[in-house]
Parts: sequence; structure tokens; C-alpha cells
Amino acid sequence: MAGRGAGGGGRKTRNFATFRLFPRAGAADPNDRVFVRVDNNDYNVPGFADEDPFDSNFTADAADLHSFASGPLPEHVRREILELGLPDDGYNYLSHLRELRPAASAASSFVPNSTARPEPLPLDVKAYDASRVRVAPSADDLDEGKTMCKVAAKTAPLRRVQRALDPDVARLLDESDFSHGGSEDEGLEEDFVIMANQAEGDDEVEEEEEELGNGIFSDVEEEKEEEEFEDEPKPRVRRLLDEQFDLLALEEYGDSDDDDDDRGGRDGDYELPSEAIEELKLFCDQNGCVDEDYRTPADFVRGRLESTTADEVDESANVIQKCAEYAERYLNEPAEEKETVLVSESSDESEVWDCETIVSTYSNLDNHPGKIETPGNRRKRLPRVFPGETATTNDLIKLHGKEKLPVDYLPQRKRNGEKEKKVKPAEAFNAEKVKKEVHKETKEEKKARKAAVKEEKREARKAKKELKGLYKSETQKAQKVAAVTGPSSIRLM
Amino acid sequence: MAAAALYGAGGAMKGGKLGMEGAVDMQLNRIRITLSSKNVKNLEKVCADLVKGAKAKELRVKGPVRIPTKVLHITTRKSPCGEGTNTWDRFEFRIHKRVIDLISSPEVVKQITSITIEPGVEVEVTIADV
Repeated sequence: MAGRGAGGGGRKTRNFATFRLFPRAGAADPNDRVFVRVDNNDYNVPGFADEDPFDSNFTADAADLHSFASGPLPEHVRREILELGLPDDGYNYLSHLRELRPAASAASSFVPNSTARPEPLPLDVKAYDASRVRVAPSADDLDEGKTMCKVAAKTAPLRRVQRALDPDVARLLDESDFSHGGSEDEGLEEDFVIMANQAEGDDEVEEEEEELGNGIFSDVEEEKEEEEFEDEPKPRVRRLLDEQFDLLALEEYGDSDDDDDDRGGRDGDYELPSEAIEELKLFCDQNGCVDEDYRTPADFVRGRLESTTADEVDESANVIQKCAEYAERYLNEPAEEKETVLVSESSDESEVWDCETIVSTYSNLDNHPGKIETPGNRRKRLPRVFPGETATTNDLIKLHGKEKLPVDYLPQRKRNGEKEKKVKPAEAFNAEKVKKEVHKETKEEKKARKAAVKEEKREARKAKKELKGLYKSETQKAQKVAAVTGPSSIRLM
Repeated sequence: MAAAALYGAGGAMKGGKLGMEGAVDMQLNRIRITLSSKNVKNLEKVCADLVKGAKAKELRVKGPVRIPTKVLHITTRKSPCGEGTNTWDRFEFRIHKRVIDLISSPEVVKQITSITIEPGVEVEVTIADV
């Protein structure tokens, strides 16, 4: 390429530089290439030779680093290394960084895993979902719409927080306050005992109330309670009555603790329902004072004391009767007679077979049934007895033929051939009788027959060869023996 | 080389001409771009792009010279063991090579080559004096 300056022996001066295009080391984009010099000539190309062939990293850091090859790394480099989490040991780990492809970064951006469960907490730690906690700047301006849940404003939603409070337990805790009075009954709503009792429940509860009334309350009060109870037949939903009870309890005993337990638990806000208040007012209006005398419903019946209404009197009179009846009925429950259940065992005679499952009643000791066999193989088990033989040696196996094989016991082969031969003249007869169609058939049949015979012969040859091969060793031995003992003309192999 | 001498003459002339025009003041070199690849299609595409780019910049271009393709044959026995009929696989590996000559400054060449490159095409640039 250059001019011929050098002499014949030496090499021509090489005034050229060769560069190759390589992909930049550590670059994400494969199209990011640099020219790298691949020859050792002295020729310098200012345009191309800007890059240091040993370091293709052409950032400003790299340029700085080359100056700091042996000394400590510049501060910004060190800071960056530390930010990445790499150790600060004087080595520039930044040279090993790889650029992320722009497409790859979009694809590999993190997406929250919807199916991930948080790590199971250790046993002594409980987690609460505080995303709903409202953090207001001051308690006054708690605007429902505006103040967002500050706690959860900048957090990622956490799924499946294992609740610290078991919801069932929480529910029970809430419910237990409401239903102290009839809690047992409520729990057994489906219980038939309760349902049965409910039919007569009116009387029973009234009896209860009556008892209470005797001891604690005045007659009038008791009457009032009964009246109220008549209105609401269900013993469970006795709100009005409950309220009255509470009020009375408060009045009579005035224990603040009890009040808190009972009332504060039962209702959120302690206020008597309006009905109760009205009734009480009515009571106050009508009877006013509670006399010291003890009064029973019987007194009302006898008309000693005024009553509010006639109905009440009647009801109250009936109450006693009803109670008495009820008590009678349930006190003297007749004992159930135990029914004797007869279980009859099946007798042998009555047993009847629905189908016969036995083949026969003969026993195998006496009966020797024959075994079903394939035809044709069993007939020649007995050796042939030639007429004229005096000594019928039935237990000797006769060997015939060149190979000295027990002919009688070989698998039969000539059977079918014999059959065919017998059949043939018969078929010929038929063929003569019938004309064309039968003629064709016989031709085909003849062909088939002949083919069958050929096949048989082929099989026979094959079998013979096989057998010969099998018994070759035996024949060799026999030949040896025959060579020694027998006449010289015997040839077994 | 005679061809080189011719080249040199031509180049010098061109250089002078350009100098008179005052268009380019940077030095011109003879630049040989060798493109090689297994894939003919890509190679041809890159060649065409390079030539087109060079012509657009009004450089002297010697069109893509097609060096005869080298075919590397690999003939192996098909069988992993020695048994069986001796059948042979004949694999081949073709390397295509194109050469483009330009006369321009190295910076321009750098520009051109950076733009058009297909994967699988190897580029080698040799720069010599004009």
C-alpha cells in the first residue's frame, strides 16, 4: 500500500493502521461499538487512535481514574461505590458496572407481587393493620372527607395482615354485653326443649316473676310486669321489661357498680325507651304509691283492692291456675315404658337360597370330572400296539426315525392332511353335481387347499429344522455312541 | 505495489483539488473497509449502506469488491460409535467478504461505520496514507 521504501531483504515499511469494530465492553446496546486497533505498526491515525485500546470505558470517571491508578480513588467515585453498597477498599468497582438496556429497565421494573404473603411473624409479635388509622392535626377539625388516613398515605397496601384480634373473639366480646339475660336461650335457639317450653313459657316466666315479686317488689309492680309480659309473648325480646327491671333495681338497691355492668353493657346509650317511661308514668298516675301491704293477685280477684282494668284481674287470676296446671303436668311425668324390641334371629329352615350357586352336590372324592382339552392331542398318548406283538410294552417309549425321536409323543401334524385327503373326493363329487358356481368355488377351494397344504409342509420343514437344531447335541452324542457301538453304516447326523 | 502507487497518485490529485476548493482541510487517508460475515444478506445490506453513505458525503468510493467466499467443510461420521454403514455428514461454513475502499478523513469514516451495522457482520478498517 505504501511506497516501497525498504530494501529487498527487509520488510516494507508498514504505514497503515488497522482497526476493528468491536462491541463496547459492558455496554447494553450491541450496536454500541468502538474501533480497536489490531496491529502493531508505528503508524498513527489521529482520528481513530483517540481511544485507549486497553480501556474502552470512555467516561469522565475513567479519565480521572487513569490518573489515579495507584493512589486513592477520587471522592465522588468512592461515594458512588458506597452508595451502591460495594465495599470501599480502594478498588474501582464502577468499571464493572453494566448499563441497563432502556427496554430492559422498563420490562424489569418491579411489580408488586399480588400473591405474596408477608413473612410469618414471630410468636411474640402481633401486627395491626394501621392503614385505616386517621391521623388528624387536631381533634376538632376531623373532617370526614378531607383528612385521609395519614398513616397509610405513602405506604404500599399490605395484604393479608394476620389480625391480632381474632374476629370471632372480638364479635363475641361485643355481643356478650347485649345478651346477658337470655344468653343461654339464645344460644340454644334450635333446641326443641326451649321451643317446647316456650309454648308454656308465658306461665313459667310469670311464675318466676311472681316469685320475684313476692320477695322484692310490690304487687302492683308485679302486676305491671306481668301485664307487660302478656303483651310480648316471647320471653326473649323483653326490652321494656328489662328496662323496668333495671330501673327498679336501681331504685331498690341503687348500686352504681351494678348499673354500669348491666346497663352500660347492654345498650350503648343508657336511656330508657320511651315506652318504659310512659308506662312508669301511667303507673305513677294510676296507683301512685306503693303500699306497705303485701298484695297478691287473689286479693284483686276478691275485689279488696282496686285494679287498673278488669282484664288484668282476670289474667292474674288465671295465672295461678295456669301455673298450677303447668306444674302438675310437668311434675308427674309418666315414666315411659320401655318397649321391648324383639329381634328374631333367622332360623336355618327359613333360609331359602335365591339362586343355586353350587354346580353339583357330588364330591370330588367319588367324582372325577374330566378336564376339557384341545382336541386331537390326547389320543396318541398310548403307544401304538401293533397286532402280533406279544409283549405289549406300554411303558416303553419307542424311538423311531433317523433322529430316534419318540414319534408317538410328538405334536401331531399329519392330522389335517389326512382330513383333507378324505374330504377331497367328497368335494369332487359335489363339484360334479353342481356346475359353474360350484366349479369356481372348488377351484378357489382347491387353491386354498393346496396353499394350506403347502403352508403346512413349510411349517413342517421349519419345525423339523428347529427340532434338528435343538437336538443337534444329542445327535452328536448318539453318533459318537453309535460310532463305537453300532454298525458302521449308521449315520445320525 | 503498483496499485498502491496509482492510488497514491490519484489520491494526491484529489487531495489537491479539494484543497483548492477549500472544502476540506483535514488530511485524507486511504481507507479500506473489510466486511466479512456468514450471512450474505446482512453483508450485502451493510455494503450498500456504506457505499450509499460514502457517496452522500461525496467521497471517492471503490464499490464493494467481492472476495471469493471461503467455504470451510466439516465432514464427520454420522454415527457416534463405529458401527453401521459408514455415513458421513457434510457441513459447511461460508464466509463472505467484501472490501470497500474510500478516500476520506478518518472521522468521516467513523461516522459512517457507526451508523450502519447489522449483527453478525465484522468490520475491519485499515487506514493508510494517501
